[in-house]
Amino acid sequence: MLPDVRDRLPGMAPKSASMKGFYRQKKSTKSTASKNVSTKKSPNLPMPYDSDITQPAALISHGSLDLKDSYKEDEQILGRFDMNMAYGPCLGMSRQARWERALKLGLNPPEEIESILKRGKVGSVCLWEGRV
Amino acid sequence: MAAMEIDSPTKIPRKQAAYRSLDEPFEIQKDIYRGQQYSQIYSARLHLLRTLMHSLVPTWKPHFPVCNILGLEEGSECVVVGTLYKHMELKPSVLDEYSKERSVIPIARPDNFMHESDYLVLEDESGRIKLGGSLLSPSVYVTGVVVALLGRETDAGDFHVEDALEVGLPPQLEMPLKSGEDKYVVLISGLHVGRAASNPLESQLLIDHITGHLGDQQVQGMAAQIVHLVIAGNSVEIPRGILNKQNLASTDYSRLSEPIKELDMMLTEIAAGLTLDIMPGSNDPTNFSLPQKPLNRCLFPSSAAYNTFRSCPNPHCFEIDGVKFLGTSGQNIHDLEKYSEAKDKLEFMERTLKWRHLAPTAPNTLGCYPFTDRDPFLIESCPHVYFVGNQDKYETRLMKGSEGQLVRLICVPKFCETGVAVMVNTNNLECRTLSFNASFSS
Repeated sequence: MLPDVRDRLPGMAPKSASMKGFYRQKKSTKSTASKNVSTKKSPNLPMPYDSDITQPAALISHGSLDLKDSYKEDEQILGRFDMNMAYGPCLGMSRQARWERALKLGLNPPEEIESILKRGKVGSVCLWEGRV
Repeated sequence: MAAMEIDSPTKIPRKQAAYRSLDEPFEIQKDIYRGQQYSQIYSARLHLLRTLMHSLVPTWKPHFPVCNILGLEEGSECVVVGTLYKHMELKPSVLDEYSKERSVIPIARPDNFMHESDYLVLEDESGRIKLGGSLLSPSVYVTGVVVALLGRETDAGDFHVEDALEVGLPPQLEMPLKSGEDKYVVLISGLHVGRAASNPLESQLLIDHITGHLGDQQVQGMAAQIVHLVIAGNSVEIPRGILNKQNLASTDYSRLSEPIKELDMMLTEIAAGLTLDIMPGSNDPTNFSLPQKPLNRCLFPSSAAYNTFRSCPNPHCFEIDGVKFLGTSGQNIHDLEKYSEAKDKLEFMERTLKWRHLAPTAPNTLGCYPFTDRDPFLIESCPHVYFVGNQDKYETRLMKGSEGQLVRLICVPKFCETGVAVMVNTNNLECRTLSFNASFSS
């Protein structure tokens, strides 16, 4: 849970139901490094372990903030597959090729990874491709 | 001396043998380079060999747990499987040019980079740990070998090795039953056609003997038992000095292509008589990194017209009448020589078989294609004949494995320097030399 900002700043607006009213910020479609990503989710929910606050700013540098939650979950699952050292290095090959290699070497990669990759709308290469 | 009968009534037919190429793992046409690094090939190598090790470790040390390097606990004995890395002080590094000290590191010998301060490190995907203890001698091992080690982590942070296990020779298919027919495969390497010091008379003698144009009936009968010829690398020597020139005149172009044309003419004579495999070597016009692609058929316009002519990759693997041959043009053993020591070249070859890997130093010090999902140099099944070309002298030994495997190890010498070719009998794995000498006595 985020520490309650209203408690730290004396004499501010009375407690309102959502942070939105407090900050009154408009969503800009061309924000380059928007630090205030917390407006995406209602703060009344407990912050999930991999919250959006930890996402690097570059991910949303190209335009609108991504609101499709199911897409995000798929990316997170694939991200964990990328980082899992048991399946070998992730750089330099597509996720599909890496999954097939894991299958070929007998490492039993989870089948849900392949189904997510087949569904499409996810990155074909790992997060670090082209950046490292 | 009896006159040679020119019109001999009996024709001596050449013996035939069934040939099967097993070069598919060494082809890189289907692989596309996507910017990957060498970590992929090391990861594939470790996974494949570690799976094998995990099946051997329970019989070797049944009472000890197996863990990965990050899971090691100080003081507790366990078995770890990983890839060795040898830290060598004298190993040439491109970063030495940029080092600020500018001190000249004295190199004792330019062809061997060993030093008494070399030490071994074991690595897997979780971490690495320095190896201590006196069991593993750094002069024997090289970077890239996968081993299983029993030991414990000391408080100094290194792993004290108590026992070590190599993968061992791969399983071998039974040799076909002795048919009673002696059939020979001739191995030559290092023709170096185009080199000023090479003697074309000796290679012509070789060709004439193999194709049966020399000698009397008895000698021709022996030549008729030769079923196959393999040329293991470095067949041509292109004058490199010309390529460094700024402007090439038309005479330069013809001088560049002369050695290849001469080789083509020689190969045409051979291909007309028997099947022939030509492998590329370190000096041949093909790619540098292993596995080397077969020499292009355009280089051999007249011999490639024969279906007996076969251009093969390096390393090369094939079967003649069920006898499996595996060989390289020498780069793997030459690299092992630079980074480790053994009493003779055959011992290096034995080690590569025991480590089940043709070229463990690839890609560390030996150029290699960055494969992503496989390591083609892993030896899956044990060959019956294992040959290495371009060596200084002819050596051979029959190696016996722990499960009854029998391998004929052959070091094929450079023909242009020694005039020696090797004949292997596929019936009983016996090995002989054919020596040609055409020097003029002064």
